[in-house]
Amino acid sequence: MFSVRIIAALLFVIVGSTPVNSDDTDIDFSRDIRPILANYCFKCHGPDAAVREADLRLDSALQAYADREGSQAIKPGDPDASTLVFRINSRDPEEQMPPPDSGLILSEDQKSLLHRWIQDGARFQQHWSFRPVIRPVLPNSKPGSHPIDTFVQHRLKTAGLTLSREAERHTLMRRVYLDVIGLLPAAEEIQLFLSDDAPDAYERMVDSVLQSPHYGEKWARHWLDQARYADTNGYTIDSPRSMWPWRDWVIQAINMDLPFDQFTIEQLAGDLLPSPTLNQLIATGFHRNTLINGEGGTDDEQFRIESVVDRVNTTGAVWLGLTVGCAQCHNHKYDPLTQQEYYQLFAFFNGTKDVNTAKPMLSLPTAEQKAHLSVLTEAANSAVQALAQFDETHPADERTDDQTTQRAELEKMIQEASDLRAEFEKLIPTTMVMQRAKEPRVSHVLIRGDFLRKENVVLPESPSFLPAMPSDGNNLKNRLTLARWLVRRDNPLTARVTVNRIWMQLFGRGLVETENDFGLQGTWPTHPALLDWLSVVFMENGWSRRSLIRMILTSATYRQASAMQPSTDRIDPLNNLLSRQSRLRVDAEIVRDLTLAASGILNPVIGGPGVYPPQPEGVYAFTQRPAHWPTSQGPDRYRRGMYTFFMRSAPHPMLTTFDTPFFNTSCTRRVRSNTPLQSLTMANDQTFIEASQALAARLVETHHHDNDRISLAWYLCLSRSPTAKEQQRVQRFVEVARRDLGETPSESAAIAGTVKNAHTMERAVWTLVARTLFNLDEFITRE
Amino acid sequence: MNARQSQIRPETLRETTRRHFFERCGVGVGATALTALMDADRAHASAESGAGVKPHHAPAAKAVIFLFMAGGPSQLDLFTEKPALQTHHGKLPPQSYLDGKRFAFLKGTEKLLGSSRRFTRWGDSGQEISDLLPHHRRIVDDVCWLHGMQSDVFNHGPAKIFLNSGSPQPGRPSMGSWTTYGLGSEASDLPGFVVLQSGPRGPRGGSALWSSGFLPTTYQGVPFRSGPEPILNLKSPDGVTRKRERQFVDLVSDLNKQHRNSVGDPEISTRIAAYEMAYSMQTSAPELMDLSDESSHTLEAYGATPGQPSYASNCLLARRLVERGVRFVQIYHTSWDHHGGSSQNLVKHLPDVCREVDQASAALVLDLKQRGLLDETIVIWGGEFGRTPMGQIQDTPGRDHHIDAYTMWTAGGGFRPGVIHGKTDDLGLGVSEQPKHVHDLQATILHQLGFDHERLTYRFQGRDYRLTDVHGNVLHDVII
Repeated sequence: MFSVRIIAALLFVIVGSTPVNSDDTDIDFSRDIRPILANYCFKCHGPDAAVREADLRLDSALQAYADREGSQAIKPGDPDASTLVFRINSRDPEEQMPPPDSGLILSEDQKSLLHRWIQDGARFQQHWSFRPVIRPVLPNSKPGSHPIDTFVQHRLKTAGLTLSREAERHTLMRRVYLDVIGLLPAAEEIQLFLSDDAPDAYERMVDSVLQSPHYGEKWARHWLDQARYADTNGYTIDSPRSMWPWRDWVIQAINMDLPFDQFTIEQLAGDLLPSPTLNQLIATGFHRNTLINGEGGTDDEQFRIESVVDRVNTTGAVWLGLTVGCAQCHNHKYDPLTQQEYYQLFAFFNGTKDVNTAKPMLSLPTAEQKAHLSVLTEAANSAVQALAQFDETHPADERTDDQTTQRAELEKMIQEASDLRAEFEKLIPTTMVMQRAKEPRVSHVLIRGDFLRKENVVLPESPSFLPAMPSDGNNLKNRLTLARWLVRRDNPLTARVTVNRIWMQLFGRGLVETENDFGLQGTWPTHPALLDWLSVVFMENGWSRRSLIRMILTSATYRQASAMQPSTDRIDPLNNLLSRQSRLRVDAEIVRDLTLAASGILNPVIGGPGVYPPQPEGVYAFTQRPAHWPTSQGPDRYRRGMYTFFMRSAPHPMLTTFDTPFFNTSCTRRVRSNTPLQSLTMANDQTFIEASQALAARLVETHHHDNDRISLAWYLCLSRSPTAKEQQRVQRFVEVARRDLGETPSESAAIAGTVKNAHTMERAVWTLVARTLFNLDEFITRE
Repeated sequence: MNARQSQIRPETLRETTRRHFFERCGVGVGATALTALMDADRAHASAESGAGVKPHHAPAAKAVIFLFMAGGPSQLDLFTEKPALQTHHGKLPPQSYLDGKRFAFLKGTEKLLGSSRRFTRWGDSGQEISDLLPHHRRIVDDVCWLHGMQSDVFNHGPAKIFLNSGSPQPGRPSMGSWTTYGLGSEASDLPGFVVLQSGPRGPRGGSALWSSGFLPTTYQGVPFRSGPEPILNLKSPDGVTRKRERQFVDLVSDLNKQHRNSVGDPEISTRIAAYEMAYSMQTSAPELMDLSDESSHTLEAYGATPGQPSYASNCLLARRLVERGVRFVQIYHTSWDHHGGSSQNLVKHLPDVCREVDQASAALVLDLKQRGLLDETIVIWGGEFGRTPMGQIQDTPGRDHHIDAYTMWTAGGGFRPGVIHGKTDDLGLGVSEQPKHVHDLQATILHQLGFDHERLTYRFQGRDYRLTDVHGNVLHDVII
C-alpha cells in the first residue's frame, strides 16, 4: 500500500495544493475537466490496465505529461504541442479522438475547455472535497457585512441578482423557532418580539431560543436519522430494544454543545477512552442501532457481518459524506477507494462483542433504584445467612417437625427475595453499547462482499487518498484511532460534510446538494469558498454547533423572505444562488408537535422511554407478531413526536405518511412529499381531532368575540394576525357552522368531544375552525 | 452560472419543489384527475414532469397482482412429483447433492422425505399438480410454470425482502415501488401500489416488503385494511357530515389560495389538490371495498362473501383495484412455513392453507381472462423460497427452507400460457434444466411492464440502483 501513498504524495507535489476556488470563471480540473476526460477518454486511457490502449493514461499527470518518443499527450502551457489537442480536433478517422466508432463526440465547448486548461498549465487538481480545508479570503464588501452575506452577495452579483428583502418579523420569529426547537412561539413571546425596537432584538431572540432545552431535541432528531435510531430490532421478529438512554444522551450532548469532535469520538469509541465515564459508554450506542435478526435458524455470523458493513457504510456517509458502500464488492467505480481499503475500514469495526445480539448492554439504575437494589440484596443475603445459621444450630438429623417447617419457610424467603430482585431488575433501564471482543477477529477482504468467501487478511487503516492516519504506537489501529482521525484538522471531509448538513437543515438544501456524496459523482458546491470558510470557522470555534447555527441564523441570507420572485426564478429556478429563503414543510414529528403546542396540550417533558400516542386500529394486521401498542392515556399521550415508540416493521403511520424513514439504514436527508394520505391524517387522525377540540376550548374560554377568537387562533397557529380577507372568510364559515349546528345539538357534542353543556355548540364551531387551521399549508410550513 | 451548475438533476428538481405528488402520472392520484384539479401553475407543473422516466419499450402488461405465499410453499408436495424421493425415503441424501448448500435448521443428519400427496398431470401442458390444489387444474394451461427458481437467502425476513427488492437487507425500493415509479398510476383516487393481507398474521419483514426505499415515499405500498375503511384515517371525525366536510375542504382551499397568492409557491397548489383527492377517496375507497355489487356467480367462483375478509375477498379486490387503474397489488397470505410438529406440519396445515388459497387463485386468473384483463395483467404466485426434500426431525413431518430449486407460477401479462420452464433433479435438491434466479424473474416482470431492468435506475448515494442489483437476465423463453 505504501507505494500508492508515495505516488499520491508525488502527484501532490506536482499539482500542488490548491484551495477550493471561489472564482467560477477559472477552470477547475475536478469540476470542468475531469468529467470530460472520464466520460470520453478513460474507457481506453484510464485506470483499468486491462483495456488500456497505446499504454496511455490520462488520469494521472505523471503519465499524461510523459515524453512519448518526442511528443507529449499533454504539454502543460502548450496546447499546440499536445497531441491530445491535435487528436481531438483531427478530422482524419485514423487520428481522431475519441475514435468515430466509439460514438462519442466532443462538443466545441468541451474542446475549447480542454484547450484552455492545457494553456493554463494543465493542472491535475485533486477532487475539491479531498483538498485541505484552507480559510478563503472574504470577498470585498461593505464594512460590517456578515461574512456569510459577503460570499453570497458576491456570487449573486455575478448573476445580476440580489438578496430578497428581510422576511416579516413574525415570519422570522416563527422560522427561528421551527428551525431551532421545532416548536411555536407563545402568543406573548410574539407580542414582545414585535414590540421590541432595539437594534439587537433579533439576535437576542435567536440567543434565547438557542438556549432552550428543546434545541437539543430538534437537532438530536436530525442526528438520530443518521444513526438509524429505533426502538425495535428490525427484520421479522422486530422485538423491542432499549436504546432510549442513548437517544437522551444525544439530546443532552447537543444541549450542552459537546464539541462535534468529542461528540464523534465518544460515539465511535467512547469505550476505548482511558477510564471512560458512564456517559461515554452510553454514547457508543450510535453503532448499536444496527438491526438484529431474531428469526429462528439464522446464522448469527452472517448478521454480525451485516452490522459491521452497515457501520462502515454509515460512518462513511455520516462523517465523510462518501458512498464507501460501493466498494464492498469491488473497487469504487468513481471514487479512489479500493475494495481492499473498504475492508481496512471494516477491520476497525470488526472487533466488537455483539454477535447479532442485544448484548453487551449497560444497566442504568437511578439513584433511587440503586438504593432499592441494595436493600433487596441485603434482604436476600440476610435470609441466606439465617439459613446457614439455622443449619448449623439444627443439623438435618436432629430437626423436629416444627424446625423442618421453619427451614422450609426460610428457603421460601430466599426464593422470594431473589424473585423480587429479578422482578425489580427488569424495571432498570438498559442501553446497548459497543465493547471490544475478548479475542480480536482477523479481518479479510470478502469476495463480492460474501461473508463466506474470504480473501486476503487486512489490518485497520485509512484510505490512501485521504491524509494519513497516525500510527498508534505498536498497537493495531482501532476505533479510537479512526474517530480521532475523522476529526483531525487536516481531515478534509468531516467538517465540510457536517457544516453542509447543518446548512441544509436551515435552507432546505446544502451548499453541496448531494450532501451524502462528496465524491467524484457528487455535485459541485454552489458556494465553495463559503463552505470552506464555514468549515474552518467551525473547527476553530471548537467544533461548536450552536455557534455555527447562530452565525447562520444572524446572516441576512438566512433572514430573507422566502416568497418566490418570477423574475429571479427565471434566472435561477432552483434558487442555487440563494436570492431568497425556501419554504419547507416541517418534518413528521414536528407536524405533530406544532399541533399539540398550538392547542396547548403538549407535554414538553424531555427524554425517557418511548411513548404510545393513539394510532388507528389495524396497523399491526401487517406485522408478523401483532405487537402490543399500549396507547398512552395520561400525559404521555401528548409528548413530542420524537418520543413515539418506533417499531421498524410497523412505525406509527402518522410518521411514515409524513416521510419519516423506517431507519433500517442511515438517513442523511429526508424526502418531503405532499400527498392525500397526509391530508387524511391531518384532517382525521385521533390526535389531530383531540388537538382541534383543545384549541377550540382555549379559544372559547379566552374570548367572547369571533374576531378575537380568530385573531388568537391565528397567533397560536401561524404566529401572525389574520388578514382582513382571511378574517372575513372564516367569519362566514363560523356563521354557517353556527346555523348548521344549532339544528343538530347531538352532533355538536360529537364534534366538540364533550358532554352537552352551554358551550357545546360554540366549542363545536371552533373545533371546526381549529381543524381548518391545522390543515393549512402554512401551518406545517417553515416560511 | 456555468453549465455544470445549471444542469438540473432529477433529484434536485424533485426535492426542491416537493412535487412528487404529480410527477409523471402522479402516484396514488392520477395525472389526469390531478391536473384537472390544478387551477394554477400548470406550466410550471408540466415542466417538472420532464424528470420522469418513460417505458423503454411498449409494455405488454400494465398491472401486476402478486399473490405472495409467505413462508415458502412446498413445491415437492404441490407442483413437482419426485418418484426417486419416494424410493429413497428415509435415507440420507448423497453428499454430492449437499455440497455448497446452506440451510436454516438442518444439521446434515436429516433424511429424505417422500411426498405423501397424489400427483396427476393436467391439461395440454401436462403439468403435474397434487391433490391439494384441485382448482389449479382449471388454470393449468393459462399459467406459465417456473420450476427451478433460486434465491440467495434462507431466512424468511431477508428472503422476502430479497424477492421484493432484489436485496436481502431492508432499504431498497420494492418491485411495486419501482413499477409505480416507472409507470405512475392510472388510478384516479386510489394509491398506485396497494398491499392486502390474509392469514393468521402479517408477513415477516413488515413494511420493508412494500417500502419505497430511497425512492420518494409516494411510491410506497399502501396497506389496505379489510372492511369499509381500508385506508387509515379515511373516516371524518364524529359529527362531521359529508356536507360539513365539503365546507371544510372549501375553507382550507380558499385560505391556502390566499396564501399562495402572497408567496407564489406552486407546492401549495399541490396541497390544495391533495385535499380534494382525499375528499373523493372518502367515498371511492368504501365503494371499492364493498363486494355486494358483484354477481353471486362471481362471488361463488372466488368463494368470497361480502363483508367477510379472506384471501378470496382479497383476490376479488385485486381485480377491482386493477380495474380502477391501480398498478401493483400485492396480496400476502401467511402460514406456508411447514417445518413439521404440532402446529405447522405437512399433514394437516399444508392442506389447510391450500384450501384457503386454491380456489380464489384459480378464480382470479379465470375472472381476469373472462373480462379481457388477463392479457395486460401479470399474476404472480409464489413465496420467498421453497422447501427441502429432506424432512425435518419433528414428531409430524415438515420440511426446511430451500432456496435452490423451488416453484412459482405466473399468468397473463404476456407470459406464455401453458409453458413448463425448468426442471429440478430427481431428488428436487438442485436444478437440472433452465435454472432461474429471483433477479431473472424481476428482470422479466419489468420487461413485461416496458422496462429494461438495467436502465430503470435511481441515483442514490452516488450509485445508480436498480431492482435487480447487478444481476438478472430476462427469461425470454417464458414470454410471448
